[in-house]
Amino acid sequence: MEATTIQSTRQPEPIILIQETTLTGEEQAQFKKLTLVWLTTALALFPILVILGLLMRGSQAAILKMSPELFYAFMTLHGLGMVGIWYIAGMAGAGLLLSRYVRPSLALSRGVFWATLVAVVLLIVATLIGKFITGWYFLYPLPLYPADVWKPWATLAFFAFLTIAGVAWTLWTVDYLRAIASRYSLKRALAWDVLFKKVKESDVPPMILILTVSLISALAGFLAAVVLIALFAAEALSSGFTNDALLMKNLVFYFGHVLVNITMYLGVAMVYELFPAFAEKGKLTTKWMVAAAWNASLLLVNLAYFHHLYMDFVQPGLLQKLGQIASYLVSVPAGVVTIISVLSLAFGSRMTWRLPSLLFFLGVMGWAIGGMAAVVDSTIVVNFRFHNTLWVPAHFHTYYLAGVVFMILGFAFQYAAELSGKAENLRLGRWLTALLTVGAYGFLSMFFYAGAHSVPRRYAVYPSEVHQGAGYAQVAIVFILLILTGVIIYLWEYGRRCVHAFSAHSH
Amino acid sequence: MPVQQIAFLVWLLFAIIIAAVFGIIGWRSRQKVDVSPARVNRFRILLLVILLVLSVIFWAYTLPKVPYPTEARQPDMVVFVTGKQFNFGIATHPMPTEKEWEEVVNFGEPVVLPRNKLIEFRVTSLDVNHGFSLYDPDHLLIGQVQAMPGYMNRLRYRFTKPGEYTVLCLEYCGNGHHRMRGAFTVQ
Repeated sequence: MEATTIQSTRQPEPIILIQETTLTGEEQAQFKKLTLVWLTTALALFPILVILGLLMRGSQAAILKMSPELFYAFMTLHGLGMVGIWYIAGMAGAGLLLSRYVRPSLALSRGVFWATLVAVVLLIVATLIGKFITGWYFLYPLPLYPADVWKPWATLAFFAFLTIAGVAWTLWTVDYLRAIASRYSLKRALAWDVLFKKVKESDVPPMILILTVSLISALAGFLAAVVLIALFAAEALSSGFTNDALLMKNLVFYFGHVLVNITMYLGVAMVYELFPAFAEKGKLTTKWMVAAAWNASLLLVNLAYFHHLYMDFVQPGLLQKLGQIASYLVSVPAGVVTIISVLSLAFGSRMTWRLPSLLFFLGVMGWAIGGMAAVVDSTIVVNFRFHNTLWVPAHFHTYYLAGVVFMILGFAFQYAAELSGKAENLRLGRWLTALLTVGAYGFLSMFFYAGAHSVPRRYAVYPSEVHQGAGYAQVAIVFILLILTGVIIYLWEYGRRCVHAFSAHSH
Repeated sequence: MPVQQIAFLVWLLFAIIIAAVFGIIGWRSRQKVDVSPARVNRFRILLLVILLVLSVIFWAYTLPKVPYPTEARQPDMVVFVTGKQFNFGIATHPMPTEKEWEEVVNFGEPVVLPRNKLIEFRVTSLDVNHGFSLYDPDHLLIGQVQAMPGYMNRLRYRFTKPGEYTVLCLEYCGNGHHRMRGAFTVQ
């Protein structure tokens, strides 16, 4: 598809989109540098985490031999690592875009960066060395059942990682909200004046509205994580106190669901803010429909998480059905507003397709295709056969890898290109996008197909009943190698621009 | 046709439509065309109506079929299932202690279930969360429920196909998760 959307193979100068800011002088230079450091850290970790995924598929394909402990350590690190890097990249990018309108704190962002680095080290130590292998969701009470696999220090390191990252990211979220509220009140940032028809159109950009919705949800998610960690600590430290497994499950899935969804929204906010300029059209504005859609998302994203608990039959039936209804409805504003907006911007635009705009456009497509797979799985009678099969990683890898990751890769490339001023190679951009897209959808198709054929997720090796899973994993490996090649080419191009920007700056 | 295949085909249909729309719009970005906001809004309203109508149809079709047990009907037979790292104890009597669970796992008689009767599995766990899943003789996943410590989940199923059924664990439960299993026969 992308081959059809490129009109020329010129090597134009990058367009300048991001660099305008409310910050001045040295503070602005520092903020820009810090954003680049955040993005580069996330991007540098990306291929490493892809390789962990490749190794896991290698084990499932019966090509690589590794202990189950190592497989599940990779699984835990891959899951938390991927969600973590795209969250921080999304937040860092959002911070830069926010700085066009409001003033996020530079000092706080710097502090959060160092705290995050400490947390990452703790996570790596806990999983790879300590073999704390509970999966990303450390589902209660598994962390309290280490058998002989991990030692108490590894549990401690893992919960220290959670606490440090949790506190740091909560402060980051609060700071962004503070920055927004200091210029617009939160009511205005949520476009309630438009929603309740006091004004026809808000001067709050849609990006600010989306970020406000995301940040409020993130705070609620982090609050759930705080309660969860406190309850774990209470049980570990006191004798005789036992937690309620259903409550703990609700808390962890609420937290995880919200974190993943808002990371998606951070990518969407970037697209809202930047895609119109690529399409050579005016900025999007916050009208009633946009306000209604994102306020509905604020409500629905917090209710949809019930779909993670369908197979807990003791959960009240009303909540289960509410989960299905909310999961369907949450796709409606996304489809009706965001996706139509992006399509209408591209249609008849005669735009020059550059790497960032291609990745934004395809990222929105991945969001839609993955979202549809999520809606299918959020149907209770379907989930009865799909829950914890490979259909689940199939759908979330679609809107993650082919969705928000594409969007953030587009954003980071645009940023580095602007800073460096280096010309863009449109032909390379087209081939790189094609490579990433073919790799992603080939890899994803094996997850979908395996899920539809009853292959479970989170299996180090497949038992005879689901031996077909090994064949699907073998095919997936070919496509992961394509993705990896694409990521390396991307990083080379991104890195060249970063080096150029820095050397130009130092001279 | 199994539910999985129907779901896969429904998704594939939507995925192809979405990809085609993006492809066509991408292609049409090559020519300059002015699109009025009113026309875009008409598309929005059309899509809104389509999505809502489709949602209501899917809800009406699927929500009455949820697998949750109701008190209105009593099961014909009750089977007790207890998960513990890394095995499922399956018996016609409860296993509230580790000792009883071990007896069932190591020395228990294989459970044989009748066809066309409503069977209720009462599923729990002695340690962490497990996923009690039913794989039919053709290794098709036909249903599942969580095995949770401190809770008893009730899964009802009417088997029509005779043969050996396999139980795999569908909730990650530790380093032996992939080898955790159980079995029963339907005659």
